[in-house]
Amino acid sequence: MKTNFLLPHKYKVFGWVFLILGIISGIILYATDFEPDVLNTHVLSIYNGDSLFSGTDEGWFKIIENGIVDELSALAIIIGGLLVGFTKEKVEDEFIYQLRTESLVWAIIVNYSILGFAVIFVYDMLFFNVMIFNMFTPLFIFIIRFNFLKLKSTNHDE
Amino acid sequence: MTNNLKVERARHNMTQADLAEAIGVSRQSIHAMEKNKYVPSTVLALKLARLFKKPVEDLFQLDGND
Repeated sequence: MKTNFLLPHKYKVFGWVFLILGIISGIILYATDFEPDVLNTHVLSIYNGDSLFSGTDEGWFKIIENGIVDELSALAIIIGGLLVGFTKEKVEDEFIYQLRTESLVWAIIVNYSILGFAVIFVYDMLFFNVMIFNMFTPLFIFIIRFNFLKLKSTNHDE
Repeated sequence: MTNNLKVERARHNMTQADLAEAIGVSRQSIHAMEKNKYVPSTVLALKLARLFKKPVEDLFQLDGND
């Protein structure tokens, strides 16, 4: 059976670990608004336009100093979310694949409806916060919807 | 589309889990097909027909909505 783009089931557990660690660290960063500087390091910035604020050179391909806790958290959420959403189920078949596809359509529609609402009614810093969450909500909504549909179609009789 | 999966399954004394395993699909698929919430692919329909030793038409029938 054709199950395109899906990784083997065994990677799903790593996905959950990354996702949960990423979310925990992300929530801590967001709530405390403080990034520990233990992981400050030199990074390559494709275009560094924030020179006034950070006191670094403006221009293309600059090596700048940056704390990477937030970057690592975001990557953990993205990689974890992708692994959780796009690895095969224990028993993968055409019906499960259809559930996954339907969940994805549903998630994109719901996510952008909410974002559209926020564009109209939310402004300034609060909207910036909406954008931070919106980096991850398509994946979250998809994963929640997919697992909900899977659970709903597992019957308890017979 | 309607189907007689539940009847055939009962005739062969199989649970949904048995049938799922015999065909190599998830239990959710069997459940969804029996509830008429999922129309299986031709491949899956043929596999079910082969398992129950019946023509596909005896298992699956078009209904008014099709």
